[in-house]
Amino acid sequence: MEYALVSVAYLTSAVLFILSLRGLSSQDSARRGNAYGMIGMGIAIFATLTRSGMDSYWMILVALVIGSVIGQRMAGSVAMTAMPELVALLHSFVGVAAVLVGFATYLASSHGGTIFEIEIFVDVFIGAITAAGSVVAYLKLKGSLSGKPLLLPSRHMLNLGLVGVCVLLAIPFVAATEPVPVSVIALVGVTVLALGLGAHLVAAIGGADMPVVVSMLNSYSGWTASAAGFMLGNDLLIVVGALVGSSGLILSIIMCRAMNRSIVSVIFGGFGGEPVAKPGGAEAAQPEGDIQETDVTEVVERLLSARNVIIVPGYGMAVARAQHKVQEMAQILKDAGVRLRFAIHPVAGRLPGHMNVLLAEANVPYDIVLEMDEINADFGDTDVVLVIGANDIVNPSAETDASSPIYGMPVLQAWLSKFVVVMKRGRSTGYAGVDNPLFYHESAHMLFGDASASMDGIVAELRAKSAVAVG
Amino acid sequence: MRLGIPVETYPLEQRVAASPAAVERYRKLGFEVAVARNAGADASFPDSAYEAVGATIVDQAEAFGGVDVVLKVRAPRLDAEGGSEVDLIREGATLISFVAPAQNEDLLKAFCARNLTVLAMDQVPRITRAQSMDALSSMANIAGYRAVVEASNEFGSFFTGQFTAAGKVPPAKVLVIGAGVAGLAAIGAARGLGAIIRAFDTRESVRDQIKSLGGEFLTVEIEESGDGGGGYAKVMSPEFIEAEMALFREQAKDIDIVITTALIPGKKAPLLWTRDMIEIMKPGSVVVDLAAENGGNCEVTVADQKVVVDGVTVIGYTDLTSRMANVASDLYGTNLAHLLKELGGAEGWNVDHENEVLRGALVAEKGEVMWPAPKVEPKAAPAPAATQPPAKPAATPQAASPKAATAAATGGSPPIFSQKAIAIGAALALLWVVLRFTSGTTGATAASIFVQHLTVFVLACFVGWQVIWSVTAALHTPLMSVTNAISGIIVIGGILMGMKNVDSGAATFIGALAVLFATINIVGGFQVTRRMLRMFHK
Repeated sequence: MEYALVSVAYLTSAVLFILSLRGLSSQDSARRGNAYGMIGMGIAIFATLTRSGMDSYWMILVALVIGSVIGQRMAGSVAMTAMPELVALLHSFVGVAAVLVGFATYLASSHGGTIFEIEIFVDVFIGAITAAGSVVAYLKLKGSLSGKPLLLPSRHMLNLGLVGVCVLLAIPFVAATEPVPVSVIALVGVTVLALGLGAHLVAAIGGADMPVVVSMLNSYSGWTASAAGFMLGNDLLIVVGALVGSSGLILSIIMCRAMNRSIVSVIFGGFGGEPVAKPGGAEAAQPEGDIQETDVTEVVERLLSARNVIIVPGYGMAVARAQHKVQEMAQILKDAGVRLRFAIHPVAGRLPGHMNVLLAEANVPYDIVLEMDEINADFGDTDVVLVIGANDIVNPSAETDASSPIYGMPVLQAWLSKFVVVMKRGRSTGYAGVDNPLFYHESAHMLFGDASASMDGIVAELRAKSAVAVG
Repeated sequence: MRLGIPVETYPLEQRVAASPAAVERYRKLGFEVAVARNAGADASFPDSAYEAVGATIVDQAEAFGGVDVVLKVRAPRLDAEGGSEVDLIREGATLISFVAPAQNEDLLKAFCARNLTVLAMDQVPRITRAQSMDALSSMANIAGYRAVVEASNEFGSFFTGQFTAAGKVPPAKVLVIGAGVAGLAAIGAARGLGAIIRAFDTRESVRDQIKSLGGEFLTVEIEESGDGGGGYAKVMSPEFIEAEMALFREQAKDIDIVITTALIPGKKAPLLWTRDMIEIMKPGSVVVDLAAENGGNCEVTVADQKVVVDGVTVIGYTDLTSRMANVASDLYGTNLAHLLKELGGAEGWNVDHENEVLRGALVAEKGEVMWPAPKVEPKAAPAPAATQPPAKPAATPQAASPKAATAAATGGSPPIFSQKAIAIGAALALLWVVLRFTSGTTGATAASIFVQHLTVFVLACFVGWQVIWSVTAALHTPLMSVTNAISGIIVIGGILMGMKNVDSGAATFIGALAVLFATINIVGGFQVTRRMLRMFHK
């Protein structure tokens, strides 16, 4: 009876979790989805705590309270621009928890069996990879570590070697039927090696691939929970882990497709900053034409006389925290009768959907924020395109230049519009290290400077001009 | 390498193959440029303007015969005064111009006799990559605009409606037949003058483009797609044409201006505006027939003439682009510059047969006719592939946006089982083998429990897979943070370490630590998701 009750509770929360993810299919139901998730989690914890046989409550309760306070603080204060870091950090906690649960389970177990021991081993292994990988990703996103990939010589062999040693360590571990020094040392050893492997895997991945990495780690954290479920014989953990694991995997696939990159090459790293070998004379690859510069006054005049305007935001907007200024400009233009929309590339920013969150934070209504597929056909009829801190996602060589490393990646066809304003801090290349012919395009005009400062100028001038027009 | 820009001698032709701005582009690609005396005069480009950008001024014979590549607008004339222009070109040299190889067999023979390499601007494939070289589109755009200007010249009233003290004037009603590049340009121009626009096209796919320019889309009630591939329309069935004619007769009563732009490649232009429709039209109305050079869409059109039939002015000018020779030359020159770049510039000059664009344009080489180019592997899928960004479907009779052809999908039927399916099958077989042999040693219970868990796991993966694909891209960050919170479910593992049967104090302590970390995750994840979702609003 007791067992049945707990099982029903677990089943309920598993269903609630599925509904929770389902709820995220549209903005309208998303909040309800989040609530489902919370209720599901509450039921699962409550059912576990109240099952008979629970003994040492106080330690668990103290841990729950402390954890809640810390979580609340972290989540309550984080700026939306720092969301990628937070998500990466939270992933690492799942990994750490999985490793700890693995150790605890092993120490508490008196009888094993090969399958059970392998399960513990796998749980600790995946958990440690997730934990270390997430910490490195967190540091990279935060900027404490360089975004450049760390490319050790023969790094693939190194990874393989680490995995090989881990497999070897599994032999004495599985051979021991109960915790003895040798087997514990083996478990500690595999933890350390897996930590190193996780750190190395992520360290080898370049800045441009960060959205994929974060979603891969999301996936790993799910598989970790699943592995723990196998180990503990707990179906709820298995189900939830599988849900989260698939979710992360799908996000990674979506991101990879958006960058026209195979998922394998991203996981094993090394793309993001590989020096781009320029074939033959470097001048041959140099786009023809000159960069045309523009100034705030011209941009404002163009904006006010336009009928259709599309804004293409990129990571630069997040860095400059310019989203509120952008919203202000959008509002003024809307009042002036300009049709204004936002075009979001799937890999804009450092996290899937990052730009949407930032724009939502700035109060931009989501029905004018469109995805690439929805808006790409409209660039030809657009009077002004404002590219704010984006580069690779509007690079025409992805379509035209077969030698370009980003060739084949779907991009926003900003260059088809009549007038493109590119806001950029300097003349550098994007994260992928590829030169952008858009900047030399006849319709493109560069507005150099910090995006926030430029936006300030535009908003001020717009206010002055549109006030005159109305008055 | 040296480029030659001769004077265009075709009657009424005023364009030239290069504006001074285009010459600058050619020179940047490493070419020397020789321009025939007065080549740009009709297009308002004096010789001095060419000299200023570094071109040399030569005589006509030199521009043809003293260069490596001849750039022209019209195909060379076989019947020019003083003999064939083809014979003026140096043997073995290259010519780039409009050719229309389907209609000019003699010309192709003359090219071969002279051993010329000839690239036809009208044969550049209409694919996205070649858009910058698509001279048909750039010329059609000009023609469409000019058609409206010519019509307004003949039309005895305002385009835009007016309320004056002397009375009310209704706006002009314009019917555009064929919404290709020219048709769309005409719609835009007429709309800009304030007219009411209706547009007819056999292809449903252009409806949105017509609407976006402020036109009303007319269609007939018969289900038949007019998309003939490659951005052109095809010949329609008799029933369709009958319905179409009925629609036109209906419109003829009401319309002030008709602009027809219907062309079907390699065929005489379809007859769309018959004599009786002209009779129905109000006196003072205007018809502009952009297909006049190919026989005309209107029954009474006379090529290169303006005729008045029953009080209706019918314009059949074939030189609309020449009437805007200045901008037409400039755009054509830019198209040429892009093609020259595709050819590798002066340094890397190579007529690469593997290059889809160049092979498409190539009509003659080394004494052999190279037209038509062999069909490239079927690239256009019957329906645009769902994963492709929606290609702008601007195909049309007169000229089409080349993008429609880019919705490429690899052809060939897929094998019944994908590699993935085979891999999964192999994995299952391996699992079976492993279980078969381990169950003997470790006991069947452990194995069967494992398989039970595996069942749950695999099913859950499938559910997750199905559910997550429906998540909208805008919510990917919240999705990530909510799954993050949910993966904190591992907290249960930690809690279970506090159970009575766990007699190891160390295990309980480590379990509590795990609970701590997992709780941070749960609370943090849900909280941050809540914050984010609160921000999304319409």
